Amino acid sequence: MEKTDLAHEIPESEKFIPYIVNPREDTGLYNAKFGIWLFLASEVMLFGSLFSAYILLRVGSFSWPVQSDIQNVPIGAVNSIILLSSSIFFIRAWVALKADDIAKYKKFMYLVILFAFMFLTLKGVEYYQHFSHHEYPKTSVFLAIYFLMTGLHALHIIGGILVNAYYVGPGMYLRAKDKQWFINRVEVAGLYWHFVDVVWIFLFSTLYLF
Amino acid sequence: MDHNSNQPEFKRDIQVYLTIIALTGLILGIHHLQLGTLGIALIVMVAVSEAAILGYFFMHLMTKKKTIHLVLLLTLIVFVTLLFWPAWDVAYSPRTPSEFTHN
Repeated sequence: MEKTDLAHEIPESEKFIPYIVNPREDTGLYNAKFGIWLFLASEVMLFGSLFSAYILLRVGSFSWPVQSDIQNVPIGAVNSIILLSSSIFFIRAWVALKADDIAKYKKFMYLVILFAFMFLTLKGVEYYQHFSHHEYPKTSVFLAIYFLMTGLHALHIIGGILVNAYYVGPGMYLRAKDKQWFINRVEVAGLYWHFVDVVWIFLFSTLYLF
Repeated sequence: MDHNSNQPEFKRDIQVYLTIIALTGLILGIHHLQLGTLGIALIVMVAVSEAAILGYFFMHLMTKKKTIHLVLLLTLIVFVTLLFWPAWDVAYSPRTPSEFTHN
């Protein structure tokens, strides 16, 4: 009898793997949320090491170009606004999902994806401008680290687009299995998306303006 | 994201968004003033504030989840240590071609 009561409290999706929907008592986090924070910590180290390399290369170099003369600052600024806007759209999508408003959720998620593509398009325009001026990663130390860091960031954006597209498309089947599970998954994808936004704030400040 | 669909939370999210956009504008303004080293320091400070606001409100760091704070604190300690680890080497490295020749 006791066993039956316990089984009733555990959601169907947690019968084989615990804490995929409900948070653990000690950490206050469900598995995916704890996992994404550990992943983001490793991402901080990845981008942190590159920022560290940038600082040391710059401090240790004989000369350094005036970055804003090489960079297209207006495009970088517009890209900042685009990415920040996509973050607020993601929050609205998540709020709509929690309120069971799937049409609104989808609308905002499509906006997030659209803005991500706009970001990548403008990044492509910037790269094109550099290449047309014969500015390649081999041209200078600054351009090498610029292409490396912004390229890595763009790969993160592409990864985010794929995840977001999954959760607005084929991944919706998870919602039929367990609504809260799906909401948690989207929340975790949102955390990643905001992190990518945070990285861009630092990339724009350090690689475009000084 | 501990947001509800109610109006105050929506208002707060919009306010946070507008603040972050305004801080981006401030960064551009500081850059436009061409303040040199002071400008660099100010831009870094504003960028850190911007990232902190985004993390605090959008990434729900405002919630009292000690595990998340612990993970981030450990990451920060390791990152800062690694960042300054090679600083002594840079400090004693030659800065000009003539210093290179003498060494």
